[in-house]
Amino acid sequence: MKPKLLWTALCALIGLALAQVSGEVKLELKAFRVITTQESGKTSEKLEPALDVKPGQVVEYRLEASNTTDRPLSRVALTIPIPKNTYYQALSAQPLQYKGGLTVPEFSFDSGQSFGKAPLKRKVRVSENGQEVEKELEVKPEEYTHVRWVIPQLGARETVVLTLRAVVR
Amino acid sequence: MRRLSILFTALWVLLLGFALAQQTAAGTNISNQASASYIDSAGQARTTTSNQVITVVQQVYSFTITPDGIPTAPGQTRSALPGAQVYFTYTVTNTGNGTDTINLATVQDTSDNFDFSGVTLYLDANCNGRVDAGESTVSAVTLTQTGASASACIVVAATIPASATSGQYGNLNLTGTSAGDNTKTDTNNWARGTATTAAALDLTKAASPSNAVAPGATLTYTLSGQNRGGSAASAITNVGGTGLSGILIQDVIPNGLTVTTSGSNPSGTAGAGSVQFVYYNGTTWSTTLPATITGNGTVALGMVITGSGAFFPQNASYTFSFQATVPAGAAQGTTYSNTATLLYNNGSNQTVTSNTTTNTVGASYGIAVGPNGNPTATAGADSQTIASAISGQTVIFTNTLRNTGNTSDSFTLAVSGAPSGWVCQLTQTDGTPISGPIGPVASATNYNFQVRCAVPAAYTGGPVNLTVSGTSVSDTSKTDPTTDTITTVTSGYAVDLAARGNGGDGNPANDNPPAQSVNPGSSANFSIEVVNTGSNADTYNLTSSVPAGWSTVFYPDATCSGVLASPTPAPLTSTGLMNPGAANKKCFIAQVQVPAGAAPVTSTTNVTFTSTSTTLGSVSDSVTTGVSVNLLQGFAFTPNRSGTVTTPGTIVYTHNLSNTGNAGVTVSIPAFTSAYGWTYQFSTDGGTTWTSSVSGLAIAAGGSSPLQVRVIVPGGEPIGRQEAATFTATATYSGGSTATSGVTDTTTVVGGDLRLTKSAVSYQGNAETTVRSASAAVANPGDRIVYTVVAQNIGTGNLTNVRISDPLPAYTSFVSVSASATGFASGTVLYSTDNGTTWSATAPGTLSAGQSIMVGVDTNGDNKIDASDIMAPASQITLIFKVVVQ
Repeated sequence: MKPKLLWTALCALIGLALAQVSGEVKLELKAFRVITTQESGKTSEKLEPALDVKPGQVVEYRLEASNTTDRPLSRVALTIPIPKNTYYQALSAQPLQYKGGLTVPEFSFDSGQSFGKAPLKRKVRVSENGQEVEKELEVKPEEYTHVRWVIPQLGARETVVLTLRAVVR
Repeated sequence: MRRLSILFTALWVLLLGFALAQQTAAGTNISNQASASYIDSAGQARTTTSNQVITVVQQVYSFTITPDGIPTAPGQTRSALPGAQVYFTYTVTNTGNGTDTINLATVQDTSDNFDFSGVTLYLDANCNGRVDAGESTVSAVTLTQTGASASACIVVAATIPASATSGQYGNLNLTGTSAGDNTKTDTNNWARGTATTAAALDLTKAASPSNAVAPGATLTYTLSGQNRGGSAASAITNVGGTGLSGILIQDVIPNGLTVTTSGSNPSGTAGAGSVQFVYYNGTTWSTTLPATITGNGTVALGMVITGSGAFFPQNASYTFSFQATVPAGAAQGTTYSNTATLLYNNGSNQTVTSNTTTNTVGASYGIAVGPNGNPTATAGADSQTIASAISGQTVIFTNTLRNTGNTSDSFTLAVSGAPSGWVCQLTQTDGTPISGPIGPVASATNYNFQVRCAVPAAYTGGPVNLTVSGTSVSDTSKTDPTTDTITTVTSGYAVDLAARGNGGDGNPANDNPPAQSVNPGSSANFSIEVVNTGSNADTYNLTSSVPAGWSTVFYPDATCSGVLASPTPAPLTSTGLMNPGAANKKCFIAQVQVPAGAAPVTSTTNVTFTSTSTTLGSVSDSVTTGVSVNLLQGFAFTPNRSGTVTTPGTIVYTHNLSNTGNAGVTVSIPAFTSAYGWTYQFSTDGGTTWTSSVSGLAIAAGGSSPLQVRVIVPGGEPIGRQEAATFTATATYSGGSTATSGVTDTTTVVGGDLRLTKSAVSYQGNAETTVRSASAAVANPGDRIVYTVVAQNIGTGNLTNVRISDPLPAYTSFVSVSASATGFASGTVLYSTDNGTTWSATAPGTLSAGQSIMVGVDTNGDNKIDASDIMAPASQITLIFKVVVQ
């Protein structure tokens, strides 16, 4: 029992020591204001740099992630938080088509502690006929806090672009 | 049924939540930063973050005025006598995201019976629907985005013309325009005032506090009114279904509020009749009030002013008041809107609806931090303990934080109380370090995080109490600590050094390797092993303590064979990294090197080996053993000498006493008794003093001492008498053991007076540069020895046919020979290698084993040495004979 404990602690130590911040992946995040105009029944959309927004407007976040090294990197998890005072616009985070593979976005509603594919479920305890029972309720996209794409491998000198939209509350 | 009700409740809360969610305030920064984690090509986990993008929220302008109404369907209707005032109540609410000023105006209808006179707008500071003393007139209101100042109550007072007849009415509209954006207006707020001479009871509703409420707060609702008409109001039989006769004021309890009934709650008075409180459970009315009423949108509390006929006179008034409690867990933005109704009769049954009060739950912030899974643990249970931790390792506590406020919030975390040298870090549960506030965490949601403390190698003891606290970012007065305790920290470092096979067995008695004995100049190999008996990997330095001049070299013994591997591996001074456990032991050969000439010693404790942790210098282990040095005897008394002496005469032989052993000796030589009465004496000081025997002569290890023997031959001894005197020297070592060595000096009495003396010097190597022994007592193979033989006529008469012979010593090779003569009038030195058969003036270049060199001085020039060759008194021949030791 004791050696197992020891190994766990040792591994934890190593894990801590090895998670280093580095510049091998360059991340550039940009925010755009989505301006929708309707002209003679046709809806057209325009993106402007989102220096300022008004409540109810939609902000598109674009994340450019580049592998700056000459070697592939694996298990690249790219996370875009949904900022405070905004909420995630449902279906705006698109799956990433990269090298023939499809990376589906994962979502978190608990500040990035856990991720899952949409729709997310939340376990709640409710009183039913005098008894407490556990139920699964669907978490609304408005409650999502983080969106993440986990790319199995990002090739040398390759760049991917990920987007999602958030609505200003 | 119940399930349905839960669903409806949830839906209602959700809708309410979204409908009333406040817009983000103008000027707010929306900042966002993406992050990535990945595995690099070396298999290392890495993280990185993007730039931060910041977007500023701009102001939008929006407001509402309620109640709404159009001329044909006014939002509120008031009745009064012709010439009397009516009061219309409005609420102006800022629904934008910043502070705005709303300009107010009134509009009279053109298609009604009359216009009002004296139209005046008052700011109804306490929102009770009346103009109270001190409440001022307004034409505009400035409203903030949030808080109590986000809405304002307005009372519009207007006077019905005295000329109006009963039943005529006028319409009035309160319009508003945003000062920040004048395209934003609200113009559909028509109200109607009716002239009547019948009874006209009005009803206004006030809530205290009038707007923002905190979760758990108490709201006081006051419903009041007056008969402003021209006649007494009449009772209604079975008013509102209560079974009572009179006037009913009823109020549906807002969803979620609770009313705890008691003697003074509810309370009420009336200017006529008597007061009876009633309760509606959704189906029927009762005069019995339950102890607790929980509002669900249906149940109601009411007051009946009982009476019969036209019992409520002109100008009589009434008041009905009750207190309700806001749920402690009410979410921010939850609103409680309430409207009361009044039922009375003024010829026909009338229903009057009051103004609407709205109370909004403000944000409340709260935090609880506690042990894993139990954030709200209270004192006593608000701690978690790890009984034992190991130094040099990381201790991990998982704590849970709960947002106990009614809105989402971020929190800063801190840990304190770690002893000096500890490094404590706050991380997410996957080990990602937390920097800055965590969150936002939704209301009533848990967030798990960890405290990871690296315990320094040198720390032991305890207990260690870590205080972990969280603080609300929105309200820094909301903070909660919890305690993470480590009861004891034990050292993670220990080492056992032992004789091979005995490491890590917990038995110190068998750790010392057995002692060994060696000769000087050799070494003793000890087989030892090191076991890391701690909990952490470590490297140990290997050192030794040995007598001065000795040294120790450690060699790896990869197979733990106990035997020094061949070829000899490279020596080392440390073990290299070792994992804990006896299975990971490492073996070494500790080679103690004893220098040549080391003194003999017997010891079982003169050698100590030590292994010392490189992480923690105080962690070490030693074993003690002994290396005894054997006594090496090496005593020599050399060389044998021979000489001739006249009678009477004296001859001195020079000898050497040498001690080549490793211990000092004391030398004694007993007196020698001559068979012929000759006298034998010894001198150890170069001939200064002479004694008949030698005792107590100390010679250190490796040292030597000259010893001279003097032979005194009395007169009258026969020529040719010869005595071989053997002297035996006894060397006594400090331990008591002895060694003996002897020389023999052969002395021959000669008639003439030719004295022969022979001496020798040995040199290191085959050269004459460095003397090895001035008496040639010691010579190594390859060394050169130079013999000098001197023949001197010490008499008074001539000597003839003088031949000096010296054999080539065994185990030597000839180098050269030369001879010289002094004291001769004339003559040539001749050499013979065939024992005098042939002679040559040239010195021989070779000499074989067993051959002798013979020299003489040819004084008559016949090229041979015979009786006609004369050696005069005092003349001498010197023969120098050089050989090299084989």
